Amino acid sequence: MTLSGVLTVVWYSVVPWLWLLALMTIIFLVPQVIARMKGYRFTSTGGLGSKVLPPVVAVLALFLVPMHTTSSISYVNTWVDWMNLIGASVGLGIYAWLVFHPVCYLRNKKA
Amino acid sequence: MSKKTLPFESVSRRDLLKLGVGAGVVGPLALTAGAAKAVNTNAHIVIVGAGAGGTAMANRLSRSLNGARITVIDAREKHHYQPGWTLVASGAWDKSKAISDTADWMPRSVNWVKGMVAEFDPDNNRVVLNNGQAVDYDYLIVASGLQLRYERIEGMDTRLIGQGKGIGSVYASIDAAAATNDEINRWVASGRGTGLFTLAPTAIKCAGAPLKMTFTTLSKLEATGRRDQFNVEFMTPSGGLFSQPQVHAFVRQRFTDQGVKRNDFYTLKAIDADAKKATFAVRDSEDVTRDYDFIHVVPPMTAPQALLDSPLRFQEGPFVDWMEVNRETLQNERYPNVWGIGDVMGMALNKTAASVKMQAGVLEQNILAHLQGRPLPAKHNGYTSCPLITGIGKAMLVEFGWADNMAMIPSFSFIDPMAESWTVWVMKDRMLRPAYYAMLEGKI
Ligand SMILES: Cc1cc2nc3c(=O)[nH]c(=O)nc-3n(C[C@H](O)[C@H](O)[C@H](O)COP(=O)(O)OP(=O)(O)OC[C@H]3O[C@@H](n4cnc5c(N)ncnc54)[C@H](O)[C@@H]3O)c2cc1C
Repeated sequence: MTLSGVLTVVWYSVVPWLWLLALMTIIFLVPQVIARMKGYRFTSTGGLGSKVLPPVVAVLALFLVPMHTTSSISYVNTWVDWMNLIGASVGLGIYAWLVFHPVCYLRNKKA
Repeated sequence: MSKKTLPFESVSRRDLLKLGVGAGVVGPLALTAGAAKAVNTNAHIVIVGAGAGGTAMANRLSRSLNGARITVIDAREKHHYQPGWTLVASGAWDKSKAISDTADWMPRSVNWVKGMVAEFDPDNNRVVLNNGQAVDYDYLIVASGLQLRYERIEGMDTRLIGQGKGIGSVYASIDAAAATNDEINRWVASGRGTGLFTLAPTAIKCAGAPLKMTFTTLSKLEATGRRDQFNVEFMTPSGGLFSQPQVHAFVRQRFTDQGVKRNDFYTLKAIDADAKKATFAVRDSEDVTRDYDFIHVVPPMTAPQALLDSPLRFQEGPFVDWMEVNRETLQNERYPNVWGIGDVMGMALNKTAASVKMQAGVLEQNILAHLQGRPLPAKHNGYTSCPLITGIGKAMLVEFGWADNMAMIPSFSFIDPMAESWTVWVMKDRMLRPAYYAMLEGKI
């Protein structure tokens, strides 16, 4: 497949989800920017929420991601399936940390 | 079960290009692809059919030929992503996801004639439309797909599909696919009864579709928790479930495991819709009439009538109901300026969009070589593919060709073609439509 072909397929696959990607970018950027203006760094102390919620999101994603695709975790069968699902869940867990960590930092600062 | 379409899910190519970023990605690529190998010619190329094969060829040739006149003939204003119909008929997709405008995929430089070819006249290098208009050509590409022959089943009419008489058929149209889903749901909700799933005695497009309909219906029946109240039977005219031997064995085993009774050498002959009775011709035996609560009808299929009435059909042999081409070069050897692509051609397997994708590359190379007086360089290997849905939420990516008794030729070495997989389901659900659209554009 040519590069042009690959890019066309990827582009058509992504387009239905542009709104979600935009929303997720905003949800990621807003707390990050606000917290950074108040001295936040990735190494700053977060809080209980940023310790507990990301793993919860990752574990929930193991069930919710297949459901979102009209499937179920019981159909996750091959090693490729598991790699994709675990990859997606870990990714969502990291995303949750990137959102909750600065939020917890701001709450700690307020308190 | 039917899913609503999300805001951008039924996006068209025009919508994509309206988005600035879309133009940023697709635009420059469209300008560059194929430009390097453009061939000069003033030939008039006529493409009959603007479905998967016709559109892919129109896009490819409009990029790879300089100075050619390209005419596409097809009356159909809507383009149907037919591989999505099984998802519509199983309730996983809303039908709007499988429909776009034919105009959106048509290259600007092409002359689109909105009519249907009624007569092929290859001795005079001409086709005649149903309004009597004659169109002359230097080269002809027949991409007219196939004709569904429901009329060969006595009492069967596509208007019966989804009308509460227990009749479904995913093949008839996108509306019929949605109506088939309604009919299956009605049967499942009734809590009991017999479902008959048929196969046709001819070659059919997407030979996996009748199996997919059986498996997705089984998913629904099993989800009721009362599977034992339902009797599911599968009728095969030839005794074969699928042409690829490993997949045939897999499906046979799965039918046994999931309590599907097989009736081999049963060909659907007649339907009495009001009495909910189906009559089957049985090899070496009397006809058998069966009661049903739901029946999935797979019609016999042939090339369109205009082609069958022309010298372009095979004159003898197993493919007399189809267009004659050399199965490797896709050229009609009696009329060397006539070529075929897609479902219309007589060859084993290959009535899939996946085959069209492979054939389009072969056909483009061979037509360019022919125009330049070179020997034909490309050969089709019979590649075909079926993401075989084995339940709502799982599928197998089956890809094979003619060689070595239809040995598997997987595109991705890390995907086991014989393993049921969630990833393959996601590919079918989310990735194959984009890949199909890229094929229409001649990008893959
Ligand atoms: C239910 C279903 C499920 C499928 N699933 C899959 C799948 O999972 N994977 C896969 O790869 N493939 C699948 N397919 C098969 C795939 O859609 C076809 O193989 C593919 O569309 C064939 O392309 P084509 O160009 O030959 O025909 P088509 O795409 O059918 O286009 C033919 C065109 O020719 C036009 N035409 C017909 N007669 C004339 C005439 N006389 N004059 C002018 N124009 C004419 C028609 O209007 C139509 O637009 C499926 C098909 C169905 C129906």
